[in-house]
Amino acid sequence: MGSRHRTPYGPGGPGPSLTVRPLEGCRGIRAAGEVGLATHMIWERVLEQAVREGEGVYYLELSEVTFVDVAGAGALAAAAGRLGAGRRLVVRRPPPALRRVLETFWPGLPTIEVTT
Amino acid sequence: MRTTTATPDVTPDPFVHPALFYRSDREYLDGTVPFVREGLAAGEPVAAAVPGDRLRLLRDALGADARRVRLLDMREAGRNPGRIIPGVLRAFADAQPAGQRVRIIGEPVWAGRSASEYPACVQHEALINAAFRGRTVTILCPYDAARLPGHVLEDAHATHPTVIPGGSRPARHSEAYAPDAIVARYNEPLPLAPDAMTFPFVADSLPEARHAATDEGRRLGLTGTVLDDLALATAELTTNSVLHGGGSGVLRVWGEDGRVLCEVRDAGRFTDPLAGRRPASRDQRGGRGLLMVNLLADLVRVHTGDEGTTIRCWFSR
Repeated sequence: MGSRHRTPYGPGGPGPSLTVRPLEGCRGIRAAGEVGLATHMIWERVLEQAVREGEGVYYLELSEVTFVDVAGAGALAAAAGRLGAGRRLVVRRPPPALRRVLETFWPGLPTIEVTT
Repeated sequence: MRTTTATPDVTPDPFVHPALFYRSDREYLDGTVPFVREGLAAGEPVAAAVPGDRLRLLRDALGADARRVRLLDMREAGRNPGRIIPGVLRAFADAQPAGQRVRIIGEPVWAGRSASEYPACVQHEALINAAFRGRTVTILCPYDAARLPGHVLEDAHATHPTVIPGGSRPARHSEAYAPDAIVARYNEPLPLAPDAMTFPFVADSLPEARHAATDEGRRLGLTGTVLDDLALATAELTTNSVLHGGGSGVLRVWGEDGRVLCEVRDAGRFTDPLAGRRPASRDQRGGRGLLMVNLLADLVRVHTGDEGTTIRCWFSR
């Protein structure tokens, strides 16, 4: 069956990825790619690290993340729920779907701050 | 002295779900206003989710009492019947103190619901009974008997354990009550669309499937938030196929009557008719995908059987 479209990934080409590197100048990471079934494990590791590491604010710079599915948003909400007192995650410039899902299922989570 | 102990043989279901058949504004108000006022007088939380024109009628008749009632336009809140249980009825009922009786007027079926929408409407009405079994909730469902076709009124007798024939007449038991049979009867096959963008997918091609859907959605005129909604719905449906529907599926996207339709077929079978209709608790891990799709789309239809499952969603430009 034909499909009338072009995709960024050719048939049999490399699948989607999620790459993560440390932020300079503050505690946190910059991620690039997308959060979906293939990258949930990487995302979960990022969030575990965010919960484990340090105190105060942890930044997740997501401007180069093109998509986060509902399970990925759920993992973020769960991680935020495990943060100790005085801690929070600052989610910078996430894809619109992430904000939408967080507002739908976890409105007013005190330990997540979404910035544009 | 004689003492009597009231020991009923069976515990009646505290959930009450009557259909109210009205033929005029007068009968509408005779059936709904006392229902609201009795609830308010008893200190019960009351909500009304009815089409906008009915909402105005009810609000005017209630006067100052309208402020004590949660009022929702069902044409918006319940445009997709699949989100009425989680997004309207349970959203209101679950927010009230436990054990407190809750009253809701819910009018999900109105003249002008399309032929595509109606099977989802009537399945929703049937599934309310399972969703609220055992709960101290009363949901009164008005039906416009003057304008709705006969088969719709017949179906309402099958989806409601009690019926109120008109205005303020008392409720009576519905002999035709058979909600499971309605869910099965309206599990209608969804014929293949002839000119759809077609994309078979497996786990490795989930992102490509999502891009294919958004490319086609954009080509068909979707923009902005609705395009994001299409992407998210596609991701959730295709991921469900990979995880629960046999590992693969076929995505289709096409335009129809000014809307964009997105459909996923897989080899799985739906065993839980309330899937996607339960509100998610904050702490629950996973299980929100289909609920999200119900909240995003203007309409969701499902056909499931031995040959597999099809889920079709409608998005407005």
